[in-house]
Amino acid sequence: MNVILPDQGIQVMERGAGTVGTLLQELGINPLEVIVSRNGKLVPEQTVIGGNDEIRIIRIAHGG
Amino acid sequence: MGFSAAPGGGPVCACCAEPAVIYQPVNKRHLCDAHIVCDVEARVASTIREAGQIRAGDRIAVGLSGGKDSTALLVILSRLLPSWPGAGLVAITVDEGIAGYRTETIRAAETLTGRLGVEHRIVSFCDLIGDDLDTLLAGRKTQACTICGILRKKALTDAACTAGATAIATGHNLDDEAQSVLMNALRGDLPRLIRNTGTGRSAAFLPRIKPLAAIPEKEIAVYLFVQGLFSVLPECPYTSYALRAGVRTMLAGFENLHPGTMQHLVENKKIIERYCAGTPVMGRLHRCRECGDPCSGDLCQACRLRHSLGK
Repeated sequence: MNVILPDQGIQVMERGAGTVGTLLQELGINPLEVIVSRNGKLVPEQTVIGGNDEIRIIRIAHGG
Repeated sequence: MGFSAAPGGGPVCACCAEPAVIYQPVNKRHLCDAHIVCDVEARVASTIREAGQIRAGDRIAVGLSGGKDSTALLVILSRLLPSWPGAGLVAITVDEGIAGYRTETIRAAETLTGRLGVEHRIVSFCDLIGDDLDTLLAGRKTQACTICGILRKKALTDAACTAGATAIATGHNLDDEAQSVLMNALRGDLPRLIRNTGTGRSAAFLPRIKPLAAIPEKEIAVYLFVQGLFSVLPECPYTSYALRAGVRTMLAGFENLHPGTMQHLVENKKIIERYCAGTPVMGRLHRCRECGDPCSGDLCQACRLRHSLGK
């Protein structure tokens, strides 16, 4: 599974099926501060991800 | 937590069988792309109606930074406005002069107003005070948000008056409002905590309305994303100097663990506001002796700042 982080860095993660929420928890990211897409479609934290999914984490907090 | 699963391992919308795009922890429900759009627009319409924020014939000046909140505000108001006969919009962008930041958001604001057919005016700190923010902040970076906030408010108010607006709408969301309540409490600033310039209509000042004040920041981002309107824009380089940055992280942590925290903070502020109505803590409204703007003392914040900057 490829995970594109808010800073555009890419992390390849080999892991069993888990949810978006557990992934964010592992990465230390508050789910309220980001939106997450799986293969281009927005998904909530309870969505199960894994395999060849491409996960993009987008930071939404915007100062100014 | 139990939920129905859509093909692909995701939950489905509480209103239909489509895959969900967001979970609303306070309501404990999932919504799909179409229903989050309807839900956000319905709640904004309800906020506007309940508070009487817009009237027939109003000309609403929308503070449009080009970021997500003001973008959502302009999109929603342009859709809702036909409900108020004769009401119109003018978008106002304030160019503070922040290198590497504002150019991109101004371009986004121009594209959006062009697409929506909304009149767009751009005003700058250079027009207002003779220098851009980067220059004004030389040796004062830790005061960035205070200085910028005062000048931005002044520039927006002046531009709205020039444009003949009857109210100013800003894109403050629920997170912003809750952060402000906590920041004012942390500063011990009761008058600012209970100030509400959106109350009533007065000849003294243009009412400032916040139609997105009940919508969490995340829902605004999702509202835009599912309509192809969300852009990843640069973050203001001065954000790290703000008290708000720390408060934002702390509150988001509480909200994640205890959904409803932000809403409770804002509701408590309204209760305090009602208790303080008509008491001396509200203070009297004066006119600034230099520019004539309404203020709480002899000089308004913008004129005091102008003096301290030697302008």
